[in-house]
Amino acid sequence: MSLIAKGILQGMAITAKNFIQSYYKKERLPTVQYPEEKSTVNQFTRNIPFLVYDGEDAIDGMRCTACKLCEKACPPQCIYIIKDTDENGKPIKRPEVFDIDSSVCMSCQLCVEVCPFESIRMDSEFELSNENRFEGLLINRDELLKSNEYYHEIHPIEAQDTDDRIAAKIAEAEAKKKAREEKARLAAEAKKADAVMKNAKVAAVTEALAAKAPAAEQIQESEAKTGVIKPEAAALGTTEKSATKAPPPEPVSKDDQASTPQTKESKAPGEDSEPKIF
Amino acid sequence: MNNFIDYKLIELGQWAVGLFNDYPVVQILVHLLLATLPLALAFMAAFGFSTWLERKGLARIQNRPGPNRVGIFGLLQPLADGIKMLLKEDIVPDRSDKLFHLLAPVMLMVPAFIAIGFLPLGDGLMSLPLDSAILFFFAVGSLNTIAVFMAGWSSRNKYSLLGGMRAVAQMISYEIPLVLSAVTVIMIAGSLSAQEIVASQQIESWLASGNLVKEFFGQILGWHIFKPWGFAGFIFFFVAALAEANRSPFDLPEADSEIIAGHLTEYSGFKYAIFFMAEYISAFAISGIAVTLFLGGWSGPVIAGLPWFIIKIFSLFAVMIWIRGTLPRLRVDQLMGYAWKFLLPLAILNIFVAGFYYFSEQQFGGLTTFIGGWIIGFAILQTAAKGLSRLNKSPTINGKRVYQLVE
Amino acid sequence: MTVAFYILAAIAVLGAVMAIALRNVVHAVFSVLLFFSALAGLFILLLAEFIAAVQILVYIGSVGILMLFAIMLTTKVTGDPTHNLLSRGWAWGALVAGALLLAFLVPLITQTQSETISKLSNFNPSVKDLGMILMDPYFASMGVIALLLTAGLIAAVVAASSASEE
Repeated sequence: MSLIAKGILQGMAITAKNFIQSYYKKERLPTVQYPEEKSTVNQFTRNIPFLVYDGEDAIDGMRCTACKLCEKACPPQCIYIIKDTDENGKPIKRPEVFDIDSSVCMSCQLCVEVCPFESIRMDSEFELSNENRFEGLLINRDELLKSNEYYHEIHPIEAQDTDDRIAAKIAEAEAKKKAREEKARLAAEAKKADAVMKNAKVAAVTEALAAKAPAAEQIQESEAKTGVIKPEAAALGTTEKSATKAPPPEPVSKDDQASTPQTKESKAPGEDSEPKIF
Repeated sequence: MNNFIDYKLIELGQWAVGLFNDYPVVQILVHLLLATLPLALAFMAAFGFSTWLERKGLARIQNRPGPNRVGIFGLLQPLADGIKMLLKEDIVPDRSDKLFHLLAPVMLMVPAFIAIGFLPLGDGLMSLPLDSAILFFFAVGSLNTIAVFMAGWSSRNKYSLLGGMRAVAQMISYEIPLVLSAVTVIMIAGSLSAQEIVASQQIESWLASGNLVKEFFGQILGWHIFKPWGFAGFIFFFVAALAEANRSPFDLPEADSEIIAGHLTEYSGFKYAIFFMAEYISAFAISGIAVTLFLGGWSGPVIAGLPWFIIKIFSLFAVMIWIRGTLPRLRVDQLMGYAWKFLLPLAILNIFVAGFYYFSEQQFGGLTTFIGGWIIGFAILQTAAKGLSRLNKSPTINGKRVYQLVE
Repeated sequence: MTVAFYILAAIAVLGAVMAIALRNVVHAVFSVLLFFSALAGLFILLLAEFIAAVQILVYIGSVGILMLFAIMLTTKVTGDPTHNLLSRGWAWGALVAGALLLAFLVPLITQTQSETISKLSNFNPSVKDLGMILMDPYFASMGVIALLLTAGLIAAVVAASSASEE
């Protein structure tokens, strides 16, 4: 250091610049008056989870099926789920109670990672303070349900990715369904072709039998019966096999036909076809 | 020149004292009160304002707005702080020395308030016009160390004790460059009295001439800071004043992150407020003496007298705040090394440069001495400073630093 | 004037007595500092303001701090409760101290002439006069004192640096 102390004077010039520019430049005074103004939060921040619902009605549109995977995956075990039952006592795929203790939640996002239905996501809401330490911080299902539009607002990239994934899954399920339907249709046509072929063969065999019968009935009866029966039996056997083959495909297609209406029933009646993605 | 405010204040005081002409005893009492009470009240108000100034100034330097909720621009914040300090519970440790624990803040406040009495606030406006005022100022300033030691010892706390020892060591080390740089001014001015020192900074011949330009510059150019020894002396005095007042970058004894507030650890509530107040008022007093010795006191071009003195004191205080916002804290061994190995030799050298300048002024006249004295004097001091800093550098091997205390 | 003198003298005597009577060593040192400040007040009464300022600056500001630093490095601060002012042998001590005091005071009081009071009426020393006297007639003693102080300073630095090298 010398008498003038150039380095110290340079430092003082920088702080003076900071002081003066904080009066008219925005980036030199980046703080906000908190309760009156709030600065925007990055779209990748996360605090506690929330449940996504599609459409207008929260209870009917919620994606959660109470599979309890998030409850098992949560490290501090802050999620508590009870499955819903309808009037007859039969369980339906919806949670009746879905509590998250926000004082325990550590924002680890494991529940989000394991959810197969893209229904639980992380919220950026941080103003959760309450005067009651226990009940005030326990958030129930109705407070946790927030719409998909809200999700697009707070985390646009994530929400878009989720929607794309859901659309891809729907497309895949549709494609599978189409493939199955194709296969069923082909099987039904094959069955019809076999039936036609079987009728044609039976007619031919009976005609052959009718042509050969008056010529040598007695001599050929014993021999022809054994000889004819064999080819007849062979012909009949094949037709029988084909006949037995025909029924098995039917129950499968019947099951398919039967299951899809069931899944459609469990969905909202006002909803379009969105088959369960198993 | 335009010291009319000073004359008006003196007339006001004389009228107030003259009211009691029939009662001489009461007259003495009124005289004493008029000499001391307005000063004390004004400096306490200045203390309140300066806490606000410090918080806002530091905040803007650090890119944030500072307190702005209590009153417009946060101006009532000192009031809120005062009420908070008053209402806090006063905790005294059980095994502490209770008498000294109580006496320490009092003993810190008394020298601070005595010291502001020695400031020449204006033409004829001085509370204690002694013949050796500057010497008394330094004497009273040395009572600060006793009070700090008392605070550190009486708390019966090892952090307090350690902080108190460091604070005392720092204060007595920096008293020497402080007094030595003031000695150059006293030497040239020829007197210890504050009024005479201020008078020696006004170029009499230029002021007596009727030329307005000469009168304007005659008030400024005579300041001691424009001479080489005065410039160096001002730097040394200001640095030593920062250390005496325990302000950044020398606030090791009372920094929160260092030693849990050092000697102030066991003080809460009103006693802490008194410590705070005493420290700020002694900072004002030392900057007042710096203004008197080097910056011309109350002399100034347009608004001479009390307002100019107040402006100067507040600008020096603003520079103290500015330095606090800029520099990091010094470590205790760096601090002591700086005082004994750098400032002390330079202050002694400064006395020689001052003597050389004085005699060359008598020999060669004003202007040659100004130019030649600046060149030679500044060259001497600059080479000495560079040489000392090279001498004091920590040892290096092949250009890389070697740490002596780290294995 | 005499009222001020009596008050200051009483404080000085009180400080000195407390310095030897108090058990706590730090309290004793602080009462010594009280004694020094009363002494500074007495110097002001004698119109020697320079000496008063130097008394505060040097004795209270430096010597007092030195004594406090020395006390800090000892371990027993509270002192032994059995040693107080009235422990055994106090009568002999009081006798010897009283005899010494009388030996100093009696000649002083009897041989002081009252003319000195009139000489003080036009005696107004300033710091400048003190400086002139130090430079002209007493220059030699000032030089010797300066040399002694320099030697003391260098000795302290050498002692401290050699102690740290070991």
